[in-house]
Amino acid sequence: MSVHVAAVDAPERRGGWTTNTDRRLAILESPVRSVLEPHLESLSNTDRITLVPDAHYPFHPSTGMVTDPAVVGSTAAVLRARTEADVAVAGMTDDRIAFDRAAGYLGYPSVLERFDTELVDLADESRRDRVVSVADQQLSVSVPERLLESAVVVVPSLRPTRDGPVAGGMRTLGRLAATVADADLTAIGATRAIEPAFSVLDATAAYGGDPIAADTLVVGPIPQVDAIGASLLGRSLEDDPVLRHTLGADESAITVESAAGDDVDLTALRRRIPDGELPPPDDTHPAVSTAYRLYAAVAGDAVPPQLEQRR
Amino acid sequence: MPSTLFGRWTDSSALSLGVLGVGNIGMVHLKSALAMPAVDVVAAADTVPDNRARAERAGVARTYDDYTTLLDAEDLDVAVVALPPFLHADAVERAAEVGVDVFVEKPLARSTDEADELLEAAREADIAVGVDHTLRYQPDMAGVKADYDDGTVGHVPYASITRLNDHPLGRPPADDAPPEWPLDPDAAGGGSLIELGVHCFDVLEWLFGDLEVRDATMGQSLDIPAEDAATVLLQAPETGTTITLHCGTYQWEQLPEVNTRLRLEGITGTISNQDHLPENFYASAATAALSNVASRFTNSEPDVFGPTFYLQAHYDALEDFCDAIREGATPPVDGADGRRTLELAETAYELAETADSEPLEIPEVMS
Repeated sequence: MSVHVAAVDAPERRGGWTTNTDRRLAILESPVRSVLEPHLESLSNTDRITLVPDAHYPFHPSTGMVTDPAVVGSTAAVLRARTEADVAVAGMTDDRIAFDRAAGYLGYPSVLERFDTELVDLADESRRDRVVSVADQQLSVSVPERLLESAVVVVPSLRPTRDGPVAGGMRTLGRLAATVADADLTAIGATRAIEPAFSVLDATAAYGGDPIAADTLVVGPIPQVDAIGASLLGRSLEDDPVLRHTLGADESAITVESAAGDDVDLTALRRRIPDGELPPPDDTHPAVSTAYRLYAAVAGDAVPPQLEQRR
Repeated sequence: MPSTLFGRWTDSSALSLGVLGVGNIGMVHLKSALAMPAVDVVAAADTVPDNRARAERAGVARTYDDYTTLLDAEDLDVAVVALPPFLHADAVERAAEVGVDVFVEKPLARSTDEADELLEAAREADIAVGVDHTLRYQPDMAGVKADYDDGTVGHVPYASITRLNDHPLGRPPADDAPPEWPLDPDAAGGGSLIELGVHCFDVLEWLFGDLEVRDATMGQSLDIPAEDAATVLLQAPETGTTITLHCGTYQWEQLPEVNTRLRLEGITGTISNQDHLPENFYASAATAALSNVASRFTNSEPDVFGPTFYLQAHYDALEDFCDAIREGATPPVDGADGRRTLELAETAYELAETADSEPLEIPEVMS
């Protein structure tokens, strides 16, 4: 299956972001429909579809650090119109923030009510174990049942993780699963257990150390779309353990087709998107903290709370 | 029966101080007080066990999970109220019942009504109320005031102040759960205007005298219950200065860079707080550190938090308050100052709401 790309044309936009959600939905309607079209066949026999966006934290969607809820809403609208399935949008409460809180701040309720689409916290759902083969090992993956019983369409943003590689669809699914393995193997295991229908990469706004209005959507099989995302962020596919294990040996080249005659120049887009990292954590470097504590002990000064040794 | 404010501190004994709330800013106050001469930090209170453990590691003898228990159990002279705003009034009223002076983190209260009740309780009990408005204690702001008072740019018809940060949602990678109350206007008293704007109001009145709010608008970049941006148009009749204030909690902050900008546009030039900040934060911090190390060998007191000017401002504000208590003087930033910032914020909220609810009048086009 080829990967399809579509440009999101916003000729009347001032600045890199359209604030009005209705306007964004209107801008997205045509490109989302045309880029999904070649992939809808895979959903023809399903009665339930779950969209899994990157809504891990309420960062502003204009930063590219999360999926734009309007992209998710536009996708839900097409799926509701073109399939018989019920459509839900799912995320999961974690130890940082409740999903309904993050989704609420991001504006999901007001977007999804337009399309009669449910918002689901997978932390409240029962889970099932699946054993899958990952890197020549059998790995037991605990996955929310909904993701096993419905057709899953993952909608990642185009951004790196804090460790550097592309966040992508597989790592987005990996955050919803649990295994005894590390995060990379969990991402692969989750993808193999869930068998998502396809991935919709929201590169309308991308983050690569700085945000950029990339105005692009990429749809296709999840490893290939993640590979394109990694390339757009200037990451080596070989250096990414998730891509290394999931891209087939014959996939040194990925066929990319422009949807609806759009002419999307991915090479030019690659040049526009910065290839940087997430900002450094707030935690001061341990060496600086140690030096400050030493200084404070010598000088009789107080140690700022941020530089205290955590226990 | 509480003792009277004036005359309570005629001896040279140390002030007995407790800290109510030792979260982020409470720990700064705790650390400041622990480093302060003639102050004994006897206890701290916090509902969060990790915060109490941090306070104990910092050197506090006793901790409590309830600030009312601390106030009842300890013989305090001063309580630092660093609780969320919805607890300020109760904490001050409890402190008033036991005759303890209070240094309250901003905002003083969630509204002027609540501030009035709190201040009335303080007045009846004859306790002092100080408020932690720290911008005026920062060296860059002090530098602006010195230049302005020296008339270095002549008359100042226009000034602008901007204060932006990312509290409480933060920026990537976000590791900690964001607290709920700062995003709840019922608990916090408002959004970024209450979180940051009140500091700006305080420093502007310190510079220009009484302000009048002429217009305001609020913004929200996410679907959050409170504003994360506020823009206020002000006038200072005494100095004839028009001022714009913009504050917001929407912008990612990367410490030590702090986005606080104050510009006074005068007849002959501009006074900017940026001209009073070190060009290189780390070089300046190293210089301050070396100075403090040297002070150890000359038996002089170090500049507490010397390498970090924004924390030093908190130290200086609390130290000024404690000095005022010892001298029986009114705190340099008192309850009236704290209430005044709330009054200006409320006027701004009212004007913004009026502007939002009134349809735009289409001007008649003259042919």
